[in-house]
Amino acid sequence: MLEARDLTKRYGDFTALHPLNLLVRPGDIYCLLGANGAGKSTTINLFLDFIEPSGGAAFINGLPVHERGAETKQFLAYIPENLMLYPDLTGLENLDFFCGLAGKSYPKAELLRLLREAGLREEFAQRRVSAYSKGMRQKVGIALAVAKEAKVLLLDEPTSGLDPQASNEFSALLLRLQAQGVATLMATHDLFRAKDTGTHIGIMKQGHLLESFRATDVSYEDLEALYLQHMHA
Amino acid sequence: MLKRIIHKEWRAALRNRQVLFFGLVVAALLLAASAVGYVSYAGQRAQMAQAQAARRAEWVGQGEKHPHIATHFGTFVFKPKNGLSFFDYGLDAYTGTSVYLEAHYQHEFMFRPAQDYSALIRFGELSGALVLQVLLPLLIIFLCFGAFTQERESGTLRLALSQGVSRRQLAWGKVLAYYGVVLALLVPTLAVALGGAFWLAGLPWTADLATRLALLALSYAGYFFGFVCLCVLVSAWASSSRNALLALLTIWITFSIVVPKTAAALGDNLYTLPSMQAYHQAIDRDVDLGLPGDTTKAGRRARLVRAYLRRYHADSVQQLPLNMEWMASQAGEDYLDRVQTLHRDSLRLVLERQNRLSTYASFLAPYLAVRNLSMALTGTDLSTSLDFQRQASAYRLGFMRQLHHDAAWHSTYGQFYEYHPGAALWASIRDFSYQLPAVESTLRQYRPELLALLLWVVVLPLALHRSTRRFPLT
Repeated sequence: MLEARDLTKRYGDFTALHPLNLLVRPGDIYCLLGANGAGKSTTINLFLDFIEPSGGAAFINGLPVHERGAETKQFLAYIPENLMLYPDLTGLENLDFFCGLAGKSYPKAELLRLLREAGLREEFAQRRVSAYSKGMRQKVGIALAVAKEAKVLLLDEPTSGLDPQASNEFSALLLRLQAQGVATLMATHDLFRAKDTGTHIGIMKQGHLLESFRATDVSYEDLEALYLQHMHA
Repeated sequence: MLKRIIHKEWRAALRNRQVLFFGLVVAALLLAASAVGYVSYAGQRAQMAQAQAARRAEWVGQGEKHPHIATHFGTFVFKPKNGLSFFDYGLDAYTGTSVYLEAHYQHEFMFRPAQDYSALIRFGELSGALVLQVLLPLLIIFLCFGAFTQERESGTLRLALSQGVSRRQLAWGKVLAYYGVVLALLVPTLAVALGGAFWLAGLPWTADLATRLALLALSYAGYFFGFVCLCVLVSAWASSSRNALLALLTIWITFSIVVPKTAAALGDNLYTLPSMQAYHQAIDRDVDLGLPGDTTKAGRRARLVRAYLRRYHADSVQQLPLNMEWMASQAGEDYLDRVQTLHRDSLRLVLERQNRLSTYASFLAPYLAVRNLSMALTGTDLSTSLDFQRQASAYRLGFMRQLHHDAAWHSTYGQFYEYHPGAALWASIRDFSYQLPAVESTLRQYRPELLALLLWVVVLPLALHRSTRRFPLT
């Protein structure tokens, strides 16, 4: 479970995130929509404890992120817009290394199974990542989330730049994790993906969360109209 | 966790062709420098042994001869090459390793290869020590400059930190991994170089040698550890890999070139050595006119004669039981030695003052600390050279005294040229054998360098530990 209580971030006089209140329950996929600079990535970074909040607090599974950062990271998996892995290592070695950092250890066969289930063929799993496409790297990220048995998934523009097939595969994997009760917070520009995959949608602009509603409450056309209305306001 | 990070960094380093290539070049240079050093060491050692044996045979077999002629026939003494000097040539090439000893003169040291060097020697001879002191830090820089900057630029740092590992754990994992890479490269290479040299030279394994070797290894190990910490620290805070590399190369140039050269130039300008001509003229003047408060050569001789006449209750030198001319000759040698010791001490003082700047500069540039310690432990430093000079001078004086006293008691006044001793006397004069000072006494003179190195080994890891609690992710 993810929760933000009056979560705020200021850089001097500039407020990147105005007090944000948000709750993402197990099985929810909360999609944050908004233009660049809306505060989506700032929100994700605050949940990752990569930046210090100026006010309020972020919680993961009830634990305050800033005070107990290392513990909260046991529960989360993070996939950024462009998931970068160590190019000199294979996909399998990368997965093994990041699992190790998370305190998890799996035999090689299990790691290969995880990668296979994430959609990465074994022949690629044993190749160096320098030869991987973005979609293949994202699959390693998903395998890592599964390996970590993450309860929370933080995604920052994960489908940006993916071809439609890779995006669809990614969405399918998200839905699988959702079925396992993973709470997902995804920052995205992709209205279609948000409507199609998300359970909840929030629209952000200039650090404010302007709207928050269930994805099933709006049609795609209504969502697009609402989004454009806020963006042009 | 640390084990995972170390393992991953090792794997990445082994797959990095540039690091591998540079590492192999450094290892090859180290082996080549050690091989060249060994050939030079073995050659000099053989030449010295041969020359010393030949000279001794000439001395003993010179036949019956007037002792004064024998004192001018003189002898050569050699500073034996230390077993570790093949690794660090130190100042041997400049200070010389042998000297001709005869009556009345203190000759300059010979066998100074630096006299034959071209201007290229300004960049330093390629020795194992030079490779470790100057080139290996460069390898460390190339290995570590991107430790964090590359991860930050590629985005892997954020992914790693999102797994729950702390920045500090990552930093220490990297330090230990890179240090392991350095040791993995060095230990076998040095084992081959040192083991090969000791085996080929048939050097006896003594406690002193083992202590020197252990201290040498510790000094270099500390020096490299500090360097790895510095590189990781700079990489953690640099805004880009390019800036990290530039900053580290600037530090390397400052440590290896700017500070040492500045300290040496400053020392030369602040504390000027007299010219060789002025040095010898001052000695000749003090011998002829006497040291301050003392009388002239003729006055001292008259005083000596009066003292002997008093001691033996004699009225003339003819009544003395010994030949006064020989005692006067020895008194001249004693006085010369006193004057030379005084002048040598003031020269040593100037050299020590010059060196003191480089010693204090070692707090700014640890290269100087490890360089000075390395020379001290391999017996190729200035203090060992000065010690050899002292022992050679003392031997010269004892050598003269034994000949003069023998002649004084075996001849009478007025028969200066008639006494001709033979092989028994020549053989009774022991051959010179230089004793390298004990390692403890050598190190006592290098306390500032030891402290500088200790600070380097303690302060940098502490700084790394403190500053990696939180450093920028972007």
